[in-house]
Amino acid sequence: MTLPAIDLVGYWLGIFLTFAILSYLYADNPFYKLAEHLFVGVSIGYVVTQQYYNVLLPNLFDRLTWRPTWYWLTFVLTALLFVKAISRRLAWLGRYPLAFVVAFFAGIQINAVGESDLADQIAASMRTLDVPRTNVNTAPPEDLAGLPGFSPPVAQRVAQARAGGQTFASLDDVERVPGLSQAQRDDLRAARGSLAGLDAQASVRDGDRYWFGILSRLLLLIGLCASLVYFYFSIEHKGVIGKVSKVGVWVLMIGFGASFGYTVQGRLALAVGRAMDMLDLDKPPELARAVNGPVVSAVCIVAIIVGIAVWEKVWHKRKP
Amino acid sequence: MSGPAGAGGPVPPGVPPTGGRRGLAAALTPDPAGGPVGVPPTGGRRGLAAALTIDRRWLFLAMGLAIVVPLVVPLGLPTEASAPVKANFYAVEDLPEGATVLVSVDLDPASTPEVEPYFHASVRHLKKRGAKLVFVTLWYQAPPLVDRWIAKTVEQATFPGDRPYKRNVDYVWLGFREGKQAVMANMGQDLWATFAGHAADGTALADIPMMAGVHRLSDFALLVLVSAGFPGAKEYVQQVQARYGLRIVAACTAVSTTDLSPYYASGQLLGLAGGMGATAEYEVLVSRLVGLDPKRGNGAMALDALNIGHVVVILAIVLGNVAYFVGRRKR
Repeated sequence: MTLPAIDLVGYWLGIFLTFAILSYLYADNPFYKLAEHLFVGVSIGYVVTQQYYNVLLPNLFDRLTWRPTWYWLTFVLTALLFVKAISRRLAWLGRYPLAFVVAFFAGIQINAVGESDLADQIAASMRTLDVPRTNVNTAPPEDLAGLPGFSPPVAQRVAQARAGGQTFASLDDVERVPGLSQAQRDDLRAARGSLAGLDAQASVRDGDRYWFGILSRLLLLIGLCASLVYFYFSIEHKGVIGKVSKVGVWVLMIGFGASFGYTVQGRLALAVGRAMDMLDLDKPPELARAVNGPVVSAVCIVAIIVGIAVWEKVWHKRKP
Repeated sequence: MSGPAGAGGPVPPGVPPTGGRRGLAAALTPDPAGGPVGVPPTGGRRGLAAALTIDRRWLFLAMGLAIVVPLVVPLGLPTEASAPVKANFYAVEDLPEGATVLVSVDLDPASTPEVEPYFHASVRHLKKRGAKLVFVTLWYQAPPLVDRWIAKTVEQATFPGDRPYKRNVDYVWLGFREGKQAVMANMGQDLWATFAGHAADGTALADIPMMAGVHRLSDFALLVLVSAGFPGAKEYVQQVQARYGLRIVAACTAVSTTDLSPYYASGQLLGLAGGMGATAEYEVLVSRLVGLDPKRGNGAMALDALNIGHVVVILAIVLGNVAYFVGRRKR
């Protein structure tokens, strides 16, 4: 595979800059500074060119030159009213375009958020506390597909078996439905469990309850109400209200904990991504051979260590 | 960022000491003057208490090893797809043959380790279903990435029975539009006008046969959102999902998962793959479907490193807390 030289240099530069950034763990040094300044400079340069080619050129310059649309000048003039940064005396003019921007986004958001985040979420939260188990002998395929170990194809097979006259005397019979693949049978077997698994959520008769589901909905109700009470400031938070709001704080803390856990995962994913890139694990074999990431990484590490050692000597000599 | 070396001001918390402790050997030795901010030094610094004053670079080293070693020596830890990921998978499986699907790729280079495996897996999955694809992005950083990924997965045959898709025949790349939620709302009303009637390569949409019946978002059988933040899946749900009753599946970065989970729970999103773990699960499901080795995918390879990295974080938290409480009791 012949890789263009510019691409090859790009891959190598990426590896070098990664180690240059990591060199900050030792101390602030010229390699780190180089990478930091490059990052900021390239980012700003990229944003400016993108904004020019995607916003200013098609929406302004093209409209005023190739396809003269002179009323667009009013938008230019409105934008120019953002003179706050240039003149303090004329700063008040900036309120007019700002008012347009705020009003526009308020208009576009209020209905949308009201419908999706308020109405739909309230509807989804207001569910009955009673959670019956899904009867595999009578439930429609859409309901069966939501059971642990089931999938739409498995649900269809079960529905076909029922249509053919099969009745399930126990959940073990589901695994023996004709036409299921071995992987589907394995999934069904792995999903068995009497707390929240298939045995807890499904049944072969009506009237059984999914107790863990009931507990989950109860927790949702308590957590929701307690969190709302915490944000209700018209009553002093003492006595019963204080205790309920404390439960609300705990619910919020659990939520923030989940967010923090995901944040950690996200940061780890970044590190994993860089490591895979430097070890050439994310490239096809021909490209990996051309880039030779592990060797380049080793060279970069040595170069940075030697560079820092030399810089230290020079820095120490210059130090008064 | 202010540098600690010779800055003249106070050293910010977490910045390695420099003055007086220079030299390569000093970099990896415990810092006698350092330690976490706000934690008083303990007498002998023996046993668990020493954990509180350990140089944080040892943790970086442990994390580095936890990430690199499983990548070099794969452990093959088991992968079980979660319910939202399975729902995502079956939402695509439910597509009629040859349906037209919008793929909105709203991300930047920093989020590629988390969501790139999902992009390639979902494109393979959609190609397996024979879907026609329309790509858009609302992030200005995304077009170079999308160009590269289209060349890698869409325009190449990547699994047995696959075929290269042809530009403006089997897929259309509409490109980037500035305007965030306003663009989403506009796409809901008139996709053609939003992109000035042209694809990214300048071809008129009227000259592309597959765009004949596709004029607005509600004309798509499914929206696949590869989303790294704002604007992304959350804004799509807010702006167009409820208004037009769209079928949407999404993949997002781990940080966004708690924001989007309520939409999955309420059915506003048909499926959700949040973070590197979930995108790897989706990749494994698709690899099994299309006949590729599930362990060779980028997401699957990364899972071992992610899991061991999490173990290191958990151990560090547990050790730090135990040391803190033991030290507090002694004090």
